[in-house]
Amino acid sequence: MIELHRVWKIYSVGPVKVPALSDVSFRVGKGEFVTLCGPSGAGKTTLLRLLYRDDVPTEGEVEVLHQDVGSLTRVEVAALRRSIGIVFQDSKLLPGRTVYENVAFVLRVLGTPRREITGRVFDALRAVGLSARAQAYPAQLSAGEAQRAALARAIARKPLLLIADEPTGNLDEGMAAEVIEIVRDIWAGGATVLFATHQATLAATLKQRTLTIHSGRLVKDEG
Amino acid sequence: MFGFLLGEALRDLRRAGRVAISAILLITLSLAALGAFWLLSSNMSEAVTQFRERVKLVVYLRREPGTAEASALVDRVRTMPGVGAVRYVGKAEALGTLRQVLGKDAAVADTLPQNPLPASLEITPTAEGATLEGARALVTRLTALPETDEIGGGVEWMERFAQGQRLLWLFALGVGAVLAVAAILTVTTATTLVLHARRDEMEIMRLVGAPEHVVRLPLLLQGMMQGLLGAMLAIWVLVACYALIGPRIEPLVSETLGVARLTFLRPHNVISLMLAGTLLGGVGGWLARGRPEA
Repeated sequence: MIELHRVWKIYSVGPVKVPALSDVSFRVGKGEFVTLCGPSGAGKTTLLRLLYRDDVPTEGEVEVLHQDVGSLTRVEVAALRRSIGIVFQDSKLLPGRTVYENVAFVLRVLGTPRREITGRVFDALRAVGLSARAQAYPAQLSAGEAQRAALARAIARKPLLLIADEPTGNLDEGMAAEVIEIVRDIWAGGATVLFATHQATLAATLKQRTLTIHSGRLVKDEG
Repeated sequence: MFGFLLGEALRDLRRAGRVAISAILLITLSLAALGAFWLLSSNMSEAVTQFRERVKLVVYLRREPGTAEASALVDRVRTMPGVGAVRYVGKAEALGTLRQVLGKDAAVADTLPQNPLPASLEITPTAEGATLEGARALVTRLTALPETDEIGGGVEWMERFAQGQRLLWLFALGVGAVLAVAAILTVTTATTLVLHARRDEMEIMRLVGAPEHVVRLPLLLQGMMQGLLGAMLAIWVLVACYALIGPRIEPLVSETLGVARLTFLRPHNVISLMLAGTLLGGVGGWLARGRPEA
């Protein structure tokens, strides 16, 4: 499903070269739940961005869904992303649209037939326990609800791979537990999950394979 | 899908607010100016066409030919390229016409010791012969006739009028072009503002793998809608001005240019203006697209 081979990502800040990722290699199989753990600034987000080709590695190869991500054309990148659900720390909900419209929006831009949209949106909202809040605007949601809405938006497209970049980073313990439970359900539904967090305790409670990253280096792969 | 994209474009148009209105008004202004010149030019063109139909060349003859000779001359001239019709006017007929023209002073003609008017051929050129080049060639051919003394009439003044019309059209294009560039820049600005306002949406669209045309088409459509609205307003302004001013200046135009009725733009002109507006807006929207994602 995912394979990184000796990946380096180096940013240039004037004459200074800053390595964000150094010689990172790992594999994630289909249907796996993998936690990517590391402190803030360790390189988690950089690594995840390489997976959905929001950035390209300076060196090395990134393969996702059997495709060499670095060599994809713009059209192929779009096609790859249609198979990936992404959730961010800030939910990135569109403020001028309701929860329902936020979820429906991505289905519409991907050309989902209109008659299917309502059903799929409500299936996704039910899965995250938000059907009752379908007509609420993002500003009317709690942080946990916003994150659940973002998850609904990600899973409405039935992705093969779910990338969650610190989805619980802004949440208190109770809300974080709810979000994690939903992510587990998505994984149980057959999706491969890559879950990034800076909270080592949270990674431990997930009891899944954990990749620990520190200063851009993969320092541990356990579980 | 197109309905959705159109809806997004309308939403963007509302977001652009005053800048979008400025863009629409600028497009209105540029197309109204262009349309007004077009209107003026098409009526002048009508006048030129009518003048051309009335153009006549008069070949004054050295001496009055006999009946058979005159008939042979007419036949010879009729076969010349650029000649539509030929009429022989004898000295007596010319004097009769002069008497008619003089009216109550016709008696003056009777005081003349002899008829001073020459016999002539009145020539109506064909459409080809009524152009500046055609008329020049025809005059050369007629001058070469041994019977010709002098040639009167001509098309120079009419051609100057036509040239004036062409100049007016060039001026219109110049003014229209300047206003069009201004309109494009305003549409670009309006669309760029929208681009910033919908940055989040575009980011989400790209992250979920929406095709690039779906991401960008609403911007193009928004520009085209501004253009179309501007063009429709411009046509409305032209219709209003025509209805208001037309009847007042029609007698003057009829008197000076000989055009009995002013005409409004033809349907294909109106459609062209609407297409031009849509195109202007589309170009503005297209220019504001910015760089696609790497």
